[in-house]
Amino acid sequence: MNDASAIIEIKGLTYAYSRAEAVHDFSLTVRQGRCYGLFGRNGAGKTTTIKCLLNLLRPREGQVRVFGLDPSRHEVEVKRRLAYVPDHVAFYPWMSVRETLNYLASFRSHWNLDVERDLLNRFRLDAGQPTAALSKGQRTQVALIAAICPEPELLLLDEPTSGLDPIVRREFIETVIGAYQEGDPGNRTILVSTHLITEFEGLIDEFTIMDRGREVMSLGADQARERYQKIRARFIGEAPAVEFKGALQMSRKGRELELIANGEGPQILEQLRRLAPESLTTEALTLEEVFVAALK
Amino acid sequence: MVLQVNYKSGQPVYLQVVDQIKAAAASGGVRTGEALPSIRPLAEELRVNRNTIAKAYAELESQGIIETIPGKGCFLKPNNSPLKKEVRRKLLIQEIDQTVVMAHHLQVPRDEFIELVCDRLDALEERKQANEIPKPS
Repeated sequence: MNDASAIIEIKGLTYAYSRAEAVHDFSLTVRQGRCYGLFGRNGAGKTTTIKCLLNLLRPREGQVRVFGLDPSRHEVEVKRRLAYVPDHVAFYPWMSVRETLNYLASFRSHWNLDVERDLLNRFRLDAGQPTAALSKGQRTQVALIAAICPEPELLLLDEPTSGLDPIVRREFIETVIGAYQEGDPGNRTILVSTHLITEFEGLIDEFTIMDRGREVMSLGADQARERYQKIRARFIGEAPAVEFKGALQMSRKGRELELIANGEGPQILEQLRRLAPESLTTEALTLEEVFVAALK
Repeated sequence: MVLQVNYKSGQPVYLQVVDQIKAAAASGGVRTGEALPSIRPLAEELRVNRNTIAKAYAELESQGIIETIPGKGCFLKPNNSPLKKEVRRKLLIQEIDQTVVMAHHLQVPRDEFIELVCDRLDALEERKQANEIPKPS
């Protein structure tokens, strides 16, 4: 625990619900100013990990630090400096949007009313409406507004877009993240867990893929797109049955050959060129394709 | 100036932004002294993180293509590289050499290659003229 710019540091985290282990020897470092993705399928251990950051769960083993502090010993200090949006948002149904925001603001030492006004307008939310009358998407919007108005140093989002229709989720996630980061560029940190990776392509700087409680890989988004390539070759006759070192996946269909390369793209391309294909193309994998390839 | 991000190109997103702004500057899509879009709206338009745009602008600034005026934004600088002529030539030669090697492997002969280069220069010139403000007659 010595990286000064680390906002979140998890080392060797293990957590089990009675006997079922949900997270096993998991490590993660999120540096200041990053928009960090925690990718995994349902049940991979994403929510458990986030709950350990909030002292909602106590790790069985390992160390968790937020702002360099142990959340179980400095719970108030840690929670004062962050905001958390869980996957299921619930409000008191009898309160209006206005009352809900006032109520939530009463727990905070600071609340940016300009940001609140701006986002209520942009989402066309009626502040007088009771929260019981809001759609699921609107409830998430209110929760996200409530999370960024205190201008916390860290934003924890657990599956913020799941259960929303694609039009709604495409619209607002970047609006919220943009508004949040704009207040103090380069210093505000986001950890977002999701299995809907395409929505966050472009927003994520760095990510960790977790599966069955374990870390599968951690990479920068640009790095991942540089390393993972889909290579397609078409031959004049039948595609040759050759082994390619470093190919993650390979499929052969008649004259065509498709490979997924991880970092060994240039070598594989060289090997393919010697086989004189009729055409040879490469493209980067999207983060979602990297995710699928990593879990195969 | 319309920018586009292609995640399938494998090129880091910030460099795609850098290249496209440089191309727009070369073809008159942005003019000297003109303001570039500010970071947040551009980030939202391209659906990318503001860090990415900030990194692209920092890179353009370090290459001397734009300048940041605090409180006002980023502006395209006059095309006036501070590098000496030999250095500029050397940098270009490196790029040309790579293309020449590529032309060899793609079996594009010398005459055709030179013709292509002229075509591309003409195309850039055409785009530049199309972007020019019509002079009042």
